[in-house]
Amino acid sequence: MSDIPAFHHRSPTTEAPALQWALTGIAVLGLALLVLAPLVAVFAEALADGAGAALRSLANPDARAAIRLTLTIAAISVPLNAVFGIAAAWFITRFDFRGKALLITLIDLPFSVSPVVAGLCIVLMFGSNSLVGGWLVAQGAPVVFALPGIVLATLFVTFPFVARELIPVMIEQGRSEEEAALTLGASGWRVFRTVTLPNIRWALMYGVLLCNARAMGEFGAVAVVSGKIRGQTATMPITIEMLYQEYLSVAAFSLAVVLALLALVTLLLKAGLERRHADQLAATHRP
Amino acid sequence: MGRPLIRRSAMPGLGLSMGITLTLLSLVVLLPIGALLAKGASYGAAGIWETVNRPRVWAALFLSFRLALAAALFNLVFGLVLAWVLARYRFVGRRLLDAAVDLPFALPTAVAGIALTALYAPNGAFGQVAARLGWQIAYTQWGIFIALVFVGLPFVARSVQPVIEEIDREIEEASASLGATRLHTLRRVILPILTPAALTGFALSLARGVGEYGSVIFIAGNIPRLTEIAPLLIVIQLEEFNYDAAAAIGIAMLVISLAMLLSINLIQIWSRRSLQDV
Amino acid sequence: MHIEIDEISRLFGATAALHPVSLSVPSGALVALLGPSGSGKTTLLRILGGLEFPSSGRVLFDGQDATGLSVQERRAGFVFQSYALFRHMTVSENIAYGLKARPRATRPNPAEISRRVARLLDLIQLPDIGARYPAQLSGGQRQRVALARALAIEPRMLLLDEPFGALDAKVRKELRQGLRDIHDNTGLTTVFVTHDQEEAMELADLVVVMSMGRIEQIGRPQDIRARPATPFVRSFITA
Ligand SMILES: Nc1ncnc2c1ncn2[C@@H]1O[C@H](COP(=O)(O)OP(=O)(O)OP(=O)(O)O)[C@@H](O)[C@H]1O
Ligand SMILES: [Mg+2]
Repeated sequence: MSDIPAFHHRSPTTEAPALQWALTGIAVLGLALLVLAPLVAVFAEALADGAGAALRSLANPDARAAIRLTLTIAAISVPLNAVFGIAAAWFITRFDFRGKALLITLIDLPFSVSPVVAGLCIVLMFGSNSLVGGWLVAQGAPVVFALPGIVLATLFVTFPFVARELIPVMIEQGRSEEEAALTLGASGWRVFRTVTLPNIRWALMYGVLLCNARAMGEFGAVAVVSGKIRGQTATMPITIEMLYQEYLSVAAFSLAVVLALLALVTLLLKAGLERRHADQLAATHRP
Repeated sequence: MGRPLIRRSAMPGLGLSMGITLTLLSLVVLLPIGALLAKGASYGAAGIWETVNRPRVWAALFLSFRLALAAALFNLVFGLVLAWVLARYRFVGRRLLDAAVDLPFALPTAVAGIALTALYAPNGAFGQVAARLGWQIAYTQWGIFIALVFVGLPFVARSVQPVIEEIDREIEEASASLGATRLHTLRRVILPILTPAALTGFALSLARGVGEYGSVIFIAGNIPRLTEIAPLLIVIQLEEFNYDAAAAIGIAMLVISLAMLLSINLIQIWSRRSLQDV
Repeated sequence: MHIEIDEISRLFGATAALHPVSLSVPSGALVALLGPSGSGKTTLLRILGGLEFPSSGRVLFDGQDATGLSVQERRAGFVFQSYALFRHMTVSENIAYGLKARPRATRPNPAEISRRVARLLDLIQLPDIGARYPAQLSGGQRQRVALARALAIEPRMLLLDEPFGALDAKVRKELRQGLRDIHDNTGLTTVFVTHDQEEAMELADLVVVMSMGRIEQIGRPQDIRARPATPFVRSFITA
């Protein structure tokens, strides 16, 4: 516990030791039961028939196709999202225009829309019985039940991640360094590359990290648009669902372990960024 | 003559950044949502109402909202405790605990869903204990509640924690020097400071819970009118190619989301104003 | 370089930061823009530097219309109120920035760049701080580095926004003389913003007194002291 001088009067800004112990106990126990236990369960269930069975199920072609698809989707949607986030943060923090608050609200909108509704929107926009979708199918480029639709759904649900992280950081840093670079004769691109980017790189990485975790793990929105074609449009989370429904528990949890490890790596990197670069992140300032 | 739409500036990249922003925003978010609204418009208000106004749909919407509210309330209290402990106390394993708070953000919902089901199913580690007490968790509303607590857990803690870290200790000392007990200080001085952030986290947790799908469907049991959540109804309608009905329920959920987004913004405006008073 | 400001105005929405103002800055002069907070000094300086655009009017450099010139084309050495040093670059990298940003044809080679950086560090009397980062400098040192960085591009004029605003009184006095010396040695037309009348009077050849977006008086320090043109000027310089 904290540095409570045992036989002295308690500092006026700390609680009674008993209360401190009680609160800490509630926090530790609560987190252990609610958060850590499920994590442990993932590993335990995967290893229920031994490590060999778990590894064998990961070597299954469908599992490998799912891993490949999930990586592909992340490789497309995360960079797109990063480009969007940088552009949006630049536009919003470096220019003055009317409707800025509305624009920020619209960028945040996907966070408050159910992933299933997000998927539904994309189906209604690009599904084969919609105007756009019908034409695309006729061109031999279907969106729904195909890779583009899954990418769109992923982009939708991860849309605000990078922008949200960059906007507060760039507001706080202000425009004067970029203005100084301009007065020194630097071109716009050079200003961005040599002044802006170094100042936002940790925040950018933080946003990309969270965006990636969500992109690889998205379930609801992808479930609606993917069509769940084994080996083709079934991402890792979708495959986990299919295996689980078929009572292939070890196979489902083995794939889940891969995603859980991804989550743990994400958390590790995130904690590292927060510790080393707290002053350059929005998350550690945000109210 | 009002102010110009975009103020002229020496900053480079206006066209490019605006172009990328508006194009992607439209393509990814606005046009698809527009497609949903258009579908609803062509279906008509009467059609939407007819779809939504069925016991099964009402039950699902109400269930999603009620359990999300219950989970958000739980997370409000637990999140405040967590944030306080993490911000104020130093103990072995605090870092680990701090990182664990974010796990629900990082762990894919489908993974959380099957893991919770494995734990709370009648033959699972926790489920067995509960069963001995005559309490079934998985495949009942309790299961949904637990899944929603899991996914909403970080919101309040993460909103409140930085605020606690920034509280000026002198405020607490002032309160103590005026004769207040510690509990009184916590209630009358600290809690009001934390309220805006806590409410924001609460609203975020609620919004997340209402729309949550992945972590819930495995543990819910999905019995119509009992443990069937609203997003699942949309999925079912889509699987039957019943696009009008799916759109109608989708619009109902969108309206709920927008109402919550609005309230989050109002909370933030209000909290900004109340902070300025200091 | 001779700077001519011809009926420049600037509106921010409905409020006028600058009513049409005109001003002629003779080549090689050291001019102070003096006025209380919100009088439009920064706005006028930023318009000269190309960072802000006038709602109407023209800017002429040596008789040539420069209103449409981009900020890069103006080649104005600009010193920002908070210095705006690049925090992730060392002092040397900060000073070299403008030289490295030049197109290849006019860019000095690396050896020449480091020679010039060293010369500028000598000029600001901080020869040994090249490897430090801005966060490791005192306020006065930062101010001088910002000045060196602006001088490195061989500017056509020097524009400084409250160059001593963030410094304590003692450092302020020392750096004042430093600016005077640099101005005298380079012969650059220099415009600096201040709200400190003593600083303006002591340092400048020509003082421009501003209030609420208008120029109240232009004159040599002794003339303004002897014959304030308006009641505002009288009260401001005796305050
Ligand atoms: N970007 C802007 N948007 C709106 N109004 C502005 C903007 N910049 C300046 N103004 C307004 O223009 C007027 C002049 O501002 P300016 O910054 O030029 O004053 P100043 O003389 O430099 O003041 P100070 O001594 O406080 O720096 C002020 O009323 C200010 O509020
Ligand atoms: Mg100013």
